[in-house]
Amino acid sequence: MSATPNVPNVDAGAPSAENDTLEDRLYTVRYDDPGESHLDVKIPGICAEGCTTYDCIDVCPANVWREGDDGVPNIAYENCLECGSCRWACPKGNVEWTYPTRGAGVSYKKG
Amino acid sequence: MTDDADATERSEPIANPSYDDAFDAIVVGAGLAGSAAAVTMADEGLDVLLIERGRYPGAKNVFGGVLYTPTLRELVDVTSAPVERYVAEKRFSMLSDDDETAVSLRPGEWHDPPHNDSYTVLRGEFDRWFAEQAVEAGAVLLTETTVTGLVREDDGRIAGVETDRPDGTITADYVVLAEGGNSLVSEGADLKKPERAENIAVGVKEVLEFPERDGVIRDRFRLSNDAGVSYHYFGEGAVGDAVGGGFIYTNEDTVSVGLAYRLSDAAGSQPKPEQTLNAFKSHPAVAPLLRGARTVEYGAKTIPEGGSESVPELVHDGAVVVGDAAGLVLNNGVHLEGTNMAVESGHLAGEAVADAAERGRTDEAAFRSYPERLEESFVVQNLERYGWLMERVETDRDLIFEELPHALADAGAEYFRMDREPKEKHAEEARERLFETVGGLRGAAKLAYRYRGVLR
Repeated sequence: MSATPNVPNVDAGAPSAENDTLEDRLYTVRYDDPGESHLDVKIPGICAEGCTTYDCIDVCPANVWREGDDGVPNIAYENCLECGSCRWACPKGNVEWTYPTRGAGVSYKKG
Repeated sequence: MTDDADATERSEPIANPSYDDAFDAIVVGAGLAGSAAAVTMADEGLDVLLIERGRYPGAKNVFGGVLYTPTLRELVDVTSAPVERYVAEKRFSMLSDDDETAVSLRPGEWHDPPHNDSYTVLRGEFDRWFAEQAVEAGAVLLTETTVTGLVREDDGRIAGVETDRPDGTITADYVVLAEGGNSLVSEGADLKKPERAENIAVGVKEVLEFPERDGVIRDRFRLSNDAGVSYHYFGEGAVGDAVGGGFIYTNEDTVSVGLAYRLSDAAGSQPKPEQTLNAFKSHPAVAPLLRGARTVEYGAKTIPEGGSESVPELVHDGAVVVGDAAGLVLNNGVHLEGTNMAVESGHLAGEAVADAAERGRTDEAAFRSYPERLEESFVVQNLERYGWLMERVETDRDLIFEELPHALADAGAEYFRMDREPKEKHAEEARERLFETVGGLRGAAKLAYRYRGVLR
């Protein structure tokens, strides 16, 4: 659960707003696994050697891009909400983005 | 072109039909722009294949929440359209970390049909309905099919699409690219350049319900019947240090809550989008509106906000680009529009294609009426009118998003302070607090002058 700022004028004890964990949030959308990742990096070495900022991790609303044990971003593609942020955010233009095939990936009911 | 019997037959899907060369036009993407183009072309007698990569139209689509319908209701009968509520109130609010200063408008005429053509909708329902209108007009809808590239003739003309279906290639004389802002097909075919991160906003949104009792939305937002609200929020209480804003829109039984800000601000010290949303929802002026709500759906999307300078070449030999794929989104702080521009562009492009088909032409020049009419329409006129804004906002960002929300709240608190001092003193203190931030009367005048174009 991420930190919730203190809210002064809301009833004591009552949750100010029900901020679910990201995991709970991701459970609200249907996901069909295409079997392989629709995301990749174009040149693997660039992330380890040429990047220090890892903007992909900062911008991702779904924690798809996350720091791995080696300190380099890993891809949890099954979290993906298909917004595309990582594609523009990567300062090296190193994100390989393809649409999941045959209806797979995220499905929004509300949108 | 085919006769009616063929068209009927074709709308009955068979196990593994071949779509290759069976249609006049292929539309890539069954969102608002794509379905508008499909309806228009089908009405003009073209055989149209509408391809959607999601499990159903809308499955991949997220937006804030308000659909603007002036063009839509000219295209289709909207009496059965699944809209949530009409917008009866627009409220603009500045948030510091713990203050709110707001302006609210509730014109009486917004209660009368057609309600200023502004309705909250949920895209999962609406886009499915709109694509059905295209099917009723004669188009064939093909879902769970991803367009992976374009077919090119030797002379460079676009002559169809590659898909992930078993019999992948589908050729047709015309291709309408309505694939949305994450336009991999258009970019892969060199029809547009990748946009800079400064010109893309990341948006996150939740649809919330109030499980504990009925009537919460009506009571909390002061609504009767199917009236609804559009609340927009600016300042650090909405999106931290980023350039952007937050929103609340009321649906029939749910509310849409979210925010969007520039990707270039999302990197670095800014908390992640999900955490920025948490902070916004927890703001003292926002949290009570959402108390007791439960998340029904969480979504994210990117928004092309490059304005008129980012609009790519709209016509190519054999293809046209429409909607978000063409960067047709307006965000000037006061107006956040895209749905109306998507429908308008899809419609104008569809008419241009039908006109070219009538003359048996597929060259880029044959579609020129599309960019020409778009230039004359509100779509490009509005984009050009506010083209200066984003650069100026960037220059003044600390003033607008951080200092001004504080100053307005403090000045308000001073002006209305209740103690035993005369009002003259309070008014003086309030004025001083404002002038301190904007640079005196002269600074205030300069600021108003710099942004006169927003309200002009």
